[in-house]
Amino acid sequence: MAQLSLDHLTKVFTDDDGSDIVAVDDVTVNIEDGEFLVLVGPSGCGKSTTLRMVAGLETVTSGDIRLGEESIADQKPQDRDIAMVFQSYALYPHMTVRENMSFGLEESTDMSDDEIHERVEDAADLLGIPELLGRKPGELSGGQRQRVALGRAIVRDPEVFLMDEPLSNLDAKLRSQMRTELQRLQEDLDTTTMYVTHDQTEAMTMGDRIAVLDAGELQQAGTPLECYHRPANRFVAGFIGEPSMNFFDATVEGDRLITDAFDYPLTEEMREAVDGANGVTLGIRPEDIEVAADDSPTGGDEFGTTVDVVEPMGNENAVYLGFDEDPTDTFVATVGGMRRIDAGERVVACFPSDAIHLFDDASGDALHNRSLADAEDAGAEPRV
Amino acid sequence: MSTDTSRTDRTDRLADIDGYRVGLYVAIGLLVAFFLTPIESGFVTSLKTDAAVGNTAPYLPPLFGGFSIANYVTAVEVLARGMGNSLLFAVPATLLSALLGSFAAYGLTLVDWKYQVPILVLFVAGVFIPYQAVLVPLSRLYSIVNVADLLWFVWAYTPVSVQYADLVELTVTHIAYGIPICTVLFRSYYTSMSTEMMEAARLDGASIRRVYRRIVFPLSTPMFAVVLIYQFTQIWNDLLFALVIVSTGSSPAAPVTLKLAGLGASLEGLDFGLRMAGAFVAALPTLLVYIAFGDEFAEGVAS
Repeated sequence: MAQLSLDHLTKVFTDDDGSDIVAVDDVTVNIEDGEFLVLVGPSGCGKSTTLRMVAGLETVTSGDIRLGEESIADQKPQDRDIAMVFQSYALYPHMTVRENMSFGLEESTDMSDDEIHERVEDAADLLGIPELLGRKPGELSGGQRQRVALGRAIVRDPEVFLMDEPLSNLDAKLRSQMRTELQRLQEDLDTTTMYVTHDQTEAMTMGDRIAVLDAGELQQAGTPLECYHRPANRFVAGFIGEPSMNFFDATVEGDRLITDAFDYPLTEEMREAVDGANGVTLGIRPEDIEVAADDSPTGGDEFGTTVDVVEPMGNENAVYLGFDEDPTDTFVATVGGMRRIDAGERVVACFPSDAIHLFDDASGDALHNRSLADAEDAGAEPRV
Repeated sequence: MSTDTSRTDRTDRLADIDGYRVGLYVAIGLLVAFFLTPIESGFVTSLKTDAAVGNTAPYLPPLFGGFSIANYVTAVEVLARGMGNSLLFAVPATLLSALLGSFAAYGLTLVDWKYQVPILVLFVAGVFIPYQAVLVPLSRLYSIVNVADLLWFVWAYTPVSVQYADLVELTVTHIAYGIPICTVLFRSYYTSMSTEMMEAARLDGASIRRVYRRIVFPLSTPMFAVVLIYQFTQIWNDLLFALVIVSTGSSPAAPVTLKLAGLGASLEGLDFGLRMAGAFVAALPTLLVYIAFGDEFAEGVAS
């Protein structure tokens, strides 16, 4: 069984001037056999370094990497039974597709030529590229090269696939197509996979679980919907979801949250959650904000606002709204694409209390997450 | 209709010719003449009889008598053995210095280990050692390490004469002095190679040696063309090391440059026609190498 465990994994680079840079800081995460884990975070967060440590391309400063029960942290890359797909595909330009795919088997196994031939043919069939086997990488399109890079990993039948932003060089349409295909392929092969991306859409749609990294530290590891609905801290809440969650700095005064622009009444449950916290941040996702086209807020969780900018997406409109108190500081709400809203219009924005997230200002940790009562009542997984 | 268009085209083209363009073409023409006149003069001189060389201007072809290819016949006769000798050391020295330079550059560029930079600095310093500075140490070295004695069995059991020990020394010397520049040239090429590709090969299970053999070496072809042409021309045309190591043109192992130095020189004066013919004959192999690797050369220089 190939369960991949990262155990307190740390990587420190020493700069030329002798100062230490902590690229990966005490990351612990388990990837179950056959699981698709997406490592996501902004650029420079240490996700690629983590992947390269698992591959053996970077040494481990401290901590351990285990494949099954065995520690692989000190093994050479070629001994780890791991295949990696690179962002640039890293195909060998002087070899045909067939030679590219055979290379790993020739170098790392003592298979006969016939066996290798068969494995390559099978992988090429699986990826739908048998007609490309005789061509060289220079004669292929980006999408085809991508498939060959995947094929090169698949033929080796490794315990673990590592993928370093494999889709980032493709155009948007091809990327979403390959996203689906990669997922299906990974389900078919049932190989443990660690996938690095900075794209939260890829993370949400592809991963069985996602691990969010920031500044070298693991912020949260959980299913995509856990991270979306129950973010562990403000960073995860802001990083996952597009458009991002709206945040408002606030202070607690009795049973009300006071922000620069509005007061928000706290429920009993929320008040308990924020007990003892000085400053809190109120968070709400754009799609949870209810926008009503009249100009008579009832008070409470409803506020009078002016529409600043409308970004039509077709299926929905992203509406940037400004409070009367400070019209330049806008927040975003999404409404249905068929609804007509114009810039300058007066609308009422409602922040329903069951969609509110509260974060501690000092630590950034989530104090209160939105209620999923409706979804749980329906007896189904919460849907976005 | 079509005549109309061609007529306007011609007027347009004539209108384009202004003072700047005329000046430009005159300047280009003069530069071409400046560069080609010495070669043209050498070539026409090589085709003249001794008398014609004295009577006609050096750059005029022998159109009105005095044409002869006797110079070439003599030059080939005299230089043939020297050219054979030169090939004997120039070919192995070129191939080995290129290959070793490529190894060194691979090890210094695409393989990761500590203290690469100080070692690279030594290689770069090697490029800038003036040959004149090493002549005395070089002759001292070969008087201490006596190649003729070390390889006694070759001269004893084969018909090769003992003077050919000098060519072994020349080969070793040219390899040693060629490695730094070859390394630097290959290094500049290897730094542009994708590191992800190297990492992919390592993850594919290839050892450092196999990565070189199967990935780096086949991809080095354009740079090999550049280095082979450069090194062959350098080694083939070298006179300084040949003078120090072989010293005399009368040796049976004398390289072509030594033979050429004495060609057509006698007490009666210099035979210019013969010397020019000799120069062209001696330059022929470098020209052939250039033509053979020309396409790859262009590709390698471009990258």
